[in-house]
Order: sequence, then structure tokens, then C-alpha cells
Amino acid sequence: MKNKIGVYVCMCGSNISDYVDVDKVKEAAEKIDGVYVAKTTMFACADSTQQEIENDIKEQKLDAIVVASCSPKLHLDTFRNVAQRGGLNPYNYVQVNIREQGSWAHSDNPPLATEKAINLVKGGIERVKHSKELIPIKIPSINAVAVVGAGIAGMRAALELAEMGTTVHLIEREHFVGGRTSQWNVLFTTNETGQEVVTRLYHQINTHPKITLYTGTEIIGKKGSVGEFNLTLKIKPRYIKPDCKHDIKDLEKAIAVCPIEVDDEFNFNITKRKAIYKNYCSEFPEIPAIDCEACNKCGECVKICADIDLNQQPEEVNISVGAIQLSTGFNPYEPTKGEFGFGEIDNVITLQQFKRLIELNEDALIYNNKTIKNIAYIYCVGSRQIDGPNKYCSRYCCTSAIHTAILAKEKYSEINNFHFNRGIRTYGKQEKLYHEASEAGDIFLQSFEEAPPQVERAGNETIVKINDILTDNEELEVNADLVVLVTGMVPRDYEGIVNILKVPIGRDKFFNEIHPKLRPVETVIDGVLISGACQAPLNITESVKSALSAASKVNSLVSSGEIKLEPTMAVIHNDKCTWCDKCTEACPYDAISKIKYKDKEVAEVSKSLCKGCGMCLPVCPENAIDLIGYTDIEMESMIEALIY
Amino acid sequence: MAKINPDFAKEIFKYGNGDFNACYNCGNCTAVCSLTDEHNSFPRKMVRASVLGLDEKITTSLDPWLCYYCGDCATTCPREANPGELMMSLRRWLTAKYDWTGLSGLLQKSLLFSLFAFIITAIGVIYYSVYQNFNVETIMHHGHLFEMLSIASVFTFIILPNLFRMWYFVIIKPGIKVKFITYFKEFQDLLIHMFTQKRTLGCDDSQTRWFMHLILVFGYLALLFTTVVLDWFGTENLFIILLGYIESVVIFIITFIFVAGRIQKNKEVNKFSQPSDWFFVIWLFLLGFTAFIVRVFIDLDLIENNIWMYLFHLIVLVQWALIIVPFGKWTHFLYRSFAMYFDKIKQVV
Repeated sequence: MKNKIGVYVCMCGSNISDYVDVDKVKEAAEKIDGVYVAKTTMFACADSTQQEIENDIKEQKLDAIVVASCSPKLHLDTFRNVAQRGGLNPYNYVQVNIREQGSWAHSDNPPLATEKAINLVKGGIERVKHSKELIPIKIPSINAVAVVGAGIAGMRAALELAEMGTTVHLIEREHFVGGRTSQWNVLFTTNETGQEVVTRLYHQINTHPKITLYTGTEIIGKKGSVGEFNLTLKIKPRYIKPDCKHDIKDLEKAIAVCPIEVDDEFNFNITKRKAIYKNYCSEFPEIPAIDCEACNKCGECVKICADIDLNQQPEEVNISVGAIQLSTGFNPYEPTKGEFGFGEIDNVITLQQFKRLIELNEDALIYNNKTIKNIAYIYCVGSRQIDGPNKYCSRYCCTSAIHTAILAKEKYSEINNFHFNRGIRTYGKQEKLYHEASEAGDIFLQSFEEAPPQVERAGNETIVKINDILTDNEELEVNADLVVLVTGMVPRDYEGIVNILKVPIGRDKFFNEIHPKLRPVETVIDGVLISGACQAPLNITESVKSALSAASKVNSLVSSGEIKLEPTMAVIHNDKCTWCDKCTEACPYDAISKIKYKDKEVAEVSKSLCKGCGMCLPVCPENAIDLIGYTDIEMESMIEALIY
Repeated sequence: MAKINPDFAKEIFKYGNGDFNACYNCGNCTAVCSLTDEHNSFPRKMVRASVLGLDEKITTSLDPWLCYYCGDCATTCPREANPGELMMSLRRWLTAKYDWTGLSGLLQKSLLFSLFAFIITAIGVIYYSVYQNFNVETIMHHGHLFEMLSIASVFTFIILPNLFRMWYFVIIKPGIKVKFITYFKEFQDLLIHMFTQKRTLGCDDSQTRWFMHLILVFGYLALLFTTVVLDWFGTENLFIILLGYIESVVIFIITFIFVAGRIQKNKEVNKFSQPSDWFFVIWLFLLGFTAFIVRVFIDLDLIENNIWMYLFHLIVLVQWALIIVPFGKWTHFLYRSFAMYFDKIKQVV
């Protein structure tokens, strides 16, 4: 029990004191047993006040402090640090929120706001009386990381981590590295191709002693937690011997004889490929692969190429890492059937398909045997939806569409580009492209979300109509030879990994960070970090930036060999526990397991997995669980003070 | 429903400097324009129509004629899309559009064709004078007849039909119902604008330009009157002789200043001169200058032995009367004032 408590009531300029009578609050606090010092202050967070509290702790030998001010989300750490500087344990500090929950919420009724503030402060004082000195937990960590996804973000992060001395396991689900970047041709602003960039990264990764690359590999199991995750990887057979001679001629023949044809996902299904394949000739790893889902093992290719081995089996590998960095990337939004004619009118394709089409068509732009002249781009397909779930802007698509339109115009003669947009967002340096495109005669037509352009089939022609807000809302139309739907980003299918790692997912279905500004690459799962377009729609530059930021965060987490964790967590009173299993079901983090205790079975909480969420507490029929920092006695005495 | 036609912009490029595709429709140009008002919002809407190729919209619009090219829009355009120059190009394009013969478009778009026309007319004059054995008296007499005849025929067969076409495009085609009496009621507006160009004063800092232009117009019209009706080259009347001298001096001095301005590119309006602009000012200069010299030669009794001087003047005159007046920039004198007149009628309706 603490009995020399300091209470500080903040005015927050006038944010609090305009509605809450802070003097009354102070007087009420003074009367409570155990309160030794009570003061009001203009700004509790001001340097001078912090110094004053620190001095009070030292001089008056306070054993706990309460600051009644704003939300702990804002200043909990500030005052914990004050407590610590004054010589107290930071957990002997309680913050009471009389601003967001007091003055701001009840500005219509100052007397009652004051009464509520007094009660909240009473509760805080009662709670701090029972507070314990807590010490952050330290657990050992392996200086190794699993980077999931070998796209541009994963590859770049892997290299950076390896350079910093962390062992990297780079895990790619596909048989080849490069992800989406390898599917794009010329990139803005450097004019390199995506494939060149990927190739460069691959060579560096391949020769780096600290990086192990796994292709055709997925994580199928996870044990342990931050500091030591034990992951089980499943490696799909490639059906090509690892010591393959890379004889291109043999391989070409093998591809020619393969009787299986499937949609080529690398070209977004605008072409077909064989079951044995390599998406482009400089693709890495150099060895081609056989798509085990498509292959019927007819054996035709084996007759031609000795390097093919259809008897290869899936392999399982276990690795141990201190942290996991996810860079699982994005999928282009798949328009629904009939959305702007998609799937119904044969010359309606997506931007991603169009980009592949440009790369595949050398001399003339031909689609469905028709030479393309007029191209209509419809923006914000699958982004900024009013009725659909994707409320967000996909950020990259305006720039990508305009860049692609410029490339098409440069590559083929007589192209007319028509951009049906909802406001062009070529932010930053990308604005240059917008300027370039309009100077080149590209036509931009704009409508609001309520009145999107219409794509119609009239005889042999495809007509795109719009009520253009830049032309007095006049109805304008274009005869389009090709309609390109500028589709946004959705996360790549990640169900498997979400089930295994329990990564939180936001309302936009992308992985969720802890705090968008202050902790943008961490998740609430300690040791699981996110980077690139799996977190939000990002372009390549932004993906790489987030990947590098996550990489440095990973390295600082695992490289010292020791990880500090919040002491706030559940503890089991072994004597009371009867192992009913209810708490394991309630735990969202798989932190509770069964152990032997004396002659019975009891629950045990993993220190590294428990987040201190408290979900297990109310379900325990024996009341055998306590939450450190929020123990029953702390909470009960606080509630009592609040209601009596 | 209007079809977008990106090729139209390429056509407009042939009539002037074409940066207007860079426009991103911020509307700064319309905001800074001191002539635009709630009835006629320009230049952005004209830029938009040009980018989209809505030629119908431009043909039926009077906006290009309501702009006097102060250049404020060009200097404030964040995309350097030069809306003022587009308005100028549209005036040239409209001149071609109104012309039923199609020659105006050909002459404006093709410098080669223009030079060809100038050379053919010059050869015609020389051929004719050879045919007349360089007889000064006959040639000068015929020259005077030509002046009268050309005015009558150019007006009847070219200018009048073209004005009718303009009227058809801007009033009839858009379906504007105008009472017959309105044309009379508002007729004074036509005359006021034709002889004062007072709208120019709406542009900022344009007093000097307006004044010089006004003097030039009056000088030109007066010289026309003096030579054609008062027969300047044939008269013995000292007053008429002096009057002609003053008028021609006014013309060649002011046009000289205008030519110098276009060379120096001292104003927005002078930055992008098309061949049709050059022809117009230079020929007007030559017209005034050669007329002046011819009269000097007459007064010094030199003309008999220096028929070449008169022939030079006649060539300039014929080119002016047959090329520049009906198909060149001269028509802006009428189209502008008629535009103001039609605009007033539209507003009354």
C-alpha cells in the first residue's frame, strides 16, 4: 500500500480548467488517505512541471504519483519517465484522463464534469495505492529473421538485414523471385525495367553468405514467439534437378512438348503458358520450374530433358528466427463481372494486363486481333469505392496509368489516350508525368464518384461516356478500341500466414501497424513486422522505404541477443487453477499452454506471447488469473472509489 | 452528346503556337481575364473545347472575338499553356471557318501557298503592265478602277457571304430566336465597336495600344476614301493632296512601330506572330509607304520616267485587296465588331 502519493491536476491551458473546477478536484484529492501532496498545474507536461514533480518525489519522498490530465495514449510514457527520474518505479504511476473523458466530453455541464473528474481521480489514487514495482521482462533472441516474400521489398530488406549482420531466411511462395516488380517494364523515374532491378538485387542476394533463399516455399507452422520463432517451411518440388545445366535448347523443347496449357498469371491471364515454364528468360533462379498443380506428369518433357525429375517430393524444413518480416505484397483489384464492362465486353482489360500487353507487343499494339488506336483509361476501379469495401486510394494507379499511357504513345504510332478520372493524384515528382502526358495531347476527363463513366457496346464499337465536370458537365463520348480499367491494390491472398502468425488486419484488409505515425512497421504481435504493399497501397519507392525501415527495426530488435517486453501480462495462480481450458480458447495470441504443477495440470502463460490484453481473466471460473499492472485489487478498489 | 476528337488540336496547332494541351483546368486564366463576364466565360472553356476537339462549340462561340489578347492569362498560367495565344489561333481558325472559299484556311496554314499567291498576283500585275507598254496614264487610271472594282466585288462575293456564314454559325445554328427588329435596335453597337474598338480599353494597360490602333484604323479608312473616292493620285486639289500625305504617313509610322514590336516580341500579343500577322502589318506599312512615295514622285514629276514605283505600289495594292483583305487578317476588323454586335443581340434575347 502506497501512502505518500503525489497528485497533480492539470489545467491543460484552459482545455480542462474551462469546464472542470481543478481546484475542487485538488481539494477532493487532498482529503483522501495516503495523499501527501496535491497540486494544480497549468501544463503538467511542461518541462518545468515535470521538474517540479521530480523534485517533489525526491524531496517529499513520495512513493507513488497520479497525474490527472489527458489520455494516457498521449503522455503515459512522459510521466512514467518523470517517476523514474525521481527515483520511483515507473509502474507506480497512474494517469487519470480528465480531458478526453472529462472536460471535452462534458463541456455542456461543468459542475457534473467536475464531479466526474473528482471520481476519476479518486479511482486513480485508489489504484495507485495498490500498484506494484514492475520490471520489464527480458528474453533472449536469435539474431536471425524470416523475410516472407521475395518481391522488391523483401529482397531489399533481406540485403539490408544481412549487411547489418542478421541471418536472413528469405521465403518466396513462387518458384521465382521479383514479385510484382518483375512484371513491370520501364519504371519511373529511372527508366530501368523492373526485371533489371530484380536481377541486380538477386545477384547480390545470391552471393551474400548471410541470406538463404527459399523459393516455392510457404510457412506452414509456427511455434515460439519473439526472440525465438520456430517456423516450419514447406518447399514445393520444382521437378527440375538442382544441378541442372540450364540448357536453354533442351528446355525450350521440353516446353514445346508439354501438352498442358494454363492461364499465364505472370501476364495476368492474357496469354497461356505450359506447365513447365519460366516467365522471362533472365528470370531468377535460372532453373525453370514445373507448376505442380498444373502438371499431369505425362512424362513427355522427361524424354527430352534429362534434368527433369518428376519424382521430387515436397520437403519440410525447420528454421529458428528472432523475428519475422512480412512483405507479402499486393494483388491488383479484380473487377467484378460487368464492372465497366469487364468480363462482358472483350476489349475491357485491367491496367496490369495492359502493361503486360505493351511489353509483349513489339511493333504494333494489337489486342483481340485489332490494332489499338484509342485507349480509354477508367480510373479508381476498386479504389475510393462508395458502396464497395475499398474506401482507400490505391495511390500508385494514377501515376502508373499515366506513365503507361506515355509509354504506349512513345512505343506505337497514332495512339490517343483518354483518361476518365476522378481527379488526378500524381503526387510529388510524379506530377511531371501528368504534365508530360497532357502536353503530349492526352485528354483528361473528370467526373465525380456518383456519376462514373459508362462503358457501352454499340455494334462493333465500344463507347465510353462521361459527364465531364470540366466541360460544364456535358456528356462526351469516345470510341475506344481498348478500355483499360485502372485497378487499385488489394492485399495478396494471405490467409495461411494470417492464421499462423495472427497478424492483425485492418478494415481495409491490409495488415495493420500499431500506430500509423509512430510505429508504422510494427504489429501488435511482437517480433512480426510488416513492410511494403501488404500494409497499404504503396509504389516501389515507398515499399522499399518501408522495407528498409522494418529491416532496421528488426535488426535493432534481434541483434543485441536480448528483447525487453512490457511487464503487463497475465499470471496464473497455480493453486486456484483447475485447467478447464477456457482461457486458452479466449487467448487471441496462443500464449497459454498446459503444464504440470505438483500433482495437477495448470495453465501457464508465455511471457513473450502474452500481450496483457486481459481476455482470459473474465472467462476463468476459478478466478485464478490476474493481470499484472491491472490486478483485481487495483481494479476493484478503483471501481469502489468511482461509485461510492 | 459530343464526340471527342483529339485530332482537332493538331489542326489548331497549324494556326498558332499550341501549348494549350498542357492545361489542367485550374481556371486561373478566366479568373485574371478582365474582359470575361458571366455571359461569356473565357478563355478556359475555349481551351477545354480545343483540347477535346469540340469544334462545333467553337464555331458557334463568339468568345475568341471578345478577347483582345492582353496576355494576362498567358503570364499567370501555371502550366504555361498560353490560353491567350490559343484565343488568337481560334480567331485565325474561325476566319478560315467563316470563309466559304476555303482559301483563307489554305493561306493561313501554308506559308508556301501564301508566297505562291503573292508571286502570282505580282506576275499578273507585271504581265498586265507589259501588255500596256508601261503606259503610266493608262495603268494609273486602271489602277484606280481596280480599287473601286475590287472593293465592290470582294465585299459582295467574299466578305458579305462570310459574314452571313458567321451569323448562321453563331445565331441560327444554336437555335437562337431573334426578332427582326432587334437587329436594328442593336445596330448602333456594331458601328460603335467597329469605329472605336472601345472594348480594348477593358484590357489592363492597353490605352496606348488602343490609341495607336484607333489612329491606324481611321488613317487607313481615310486613305482608302482619299484614294478611291477623292482620287488622290489624280487630284490637283492641294487640300486632298496634303490629306493623303498625312494619312499615309500615319499608316506607315504606326505600322512600323507595330512591326518593330513584333520583332522585339515586347508584349505577350507579339510573341507568337504567324505569317498572316506579318503579311498584314508589313503590307499595310508598304501600302502607306508606297502610296506616299508615289504621290511624291507625282509632285516632283518623276513618275513618268519611274513607272516602276507605281507598279510596286500597285503590286502591293493588288495583293492587299485580293489576298489580305478577303482571306487574311484584315477581316478581323469586321468579325470583331460583328461578334460584339451578335453578342449584344444574344444577350438581349
